[in-house]
Amino acid sequence: MVLLVSPSATDPQALFEEHVVPQLEVLYRTARSITRNQVDAEDLVQETLLRAFGAIDRFDGRYPKAWLLTIMRNANINRARKKVPDLLDDPELTFERSTRFAETDTPEQVVVEPVFDATVHSAFNRLPESFKQVVELVDLQGLAYQESADLLDIPVGTVMSRLHRARKRIRTEIAEYGLDSERTPT
Amino acid sequence: MIKKLFRRRGMSCDAVMEVLQSYLDGETDAETARLVAAHLHTCTDCDQETATFRRIKLSLASTPSPVDPAIISSLQHFSARLTRGELG
Repeated sequence: MVLLVSPSATDPQALFEEHVVPQLEVLYRTARSITRNQVDAEDLVQETLLRAFGAIDRFDGRYPKAWLLTIMRNANINRARKKVPDLLDDPELTFERSTRFAETDTPEQVVVEPVFDATVHSAFNRLPESFKQVVELVDLQGLAYQESADLLDIPVGTVMSRLHRARKRIRTEIAEYGLDSERTPT
Repeated sequence: MIKKLFRRRGMSCDAVMEVLQSYLDGETDAETARLVAAHLHTCTDCDQETATFRRIKLSLASTPSPVDPAIISSLQHFSARLTRGELG
């Protein structure tokens, strides 16, 4: 019997280049969402790469993104433990709970895409950092709630609460600018 | 119990708004998604609210902030050094 084993199957360098290197941008974007700054994001990705390379011989080749995000999660927990004061500075603790739905009349006007997008991004930029984190992970990186919760080491309910409140804040601004959708086709 | 009630009577507007974000993110179970979709088909207000939130989500997703290519290049360089055993 002839076993068809790829020459790269057991070569750590080849495995790393095949499964990890293509994920660098995803890893960096995710790290930036978590850390909120470039320097810490680069550090977190480098720590993730070091751990991934050390464990590459135990990686089965399936779902590299999920595998790497799990490693990043653990690296981030380690990093956060070294920076305890940051953990105490949770904007959600002081964030007002006024995320009411705006009940303004919907003006019958054409929604101008750039104005809508600009309003959304402007509102996004004013969100607390902890809210931006989950919006970026879910809406930009396309992560599931549970994946985001694991990465940030917070309960999935907190991810949902922050995400939903963030969107409702943005939605309130949309209403204030009279940019509600009129049964927008999807 | 509650789902049985919803199946019989359909979801209320409040109940739909309660799960709307999860519905938009594909995070509800299939039965809840079906009930929400059925409600949106018949309720103009909720359908419009859903459209607004869907647009917000699309808007947020459509413009990811750019990543400086130099950073990716630097991480590639780091990876290369790592695999060559130059980082101890």
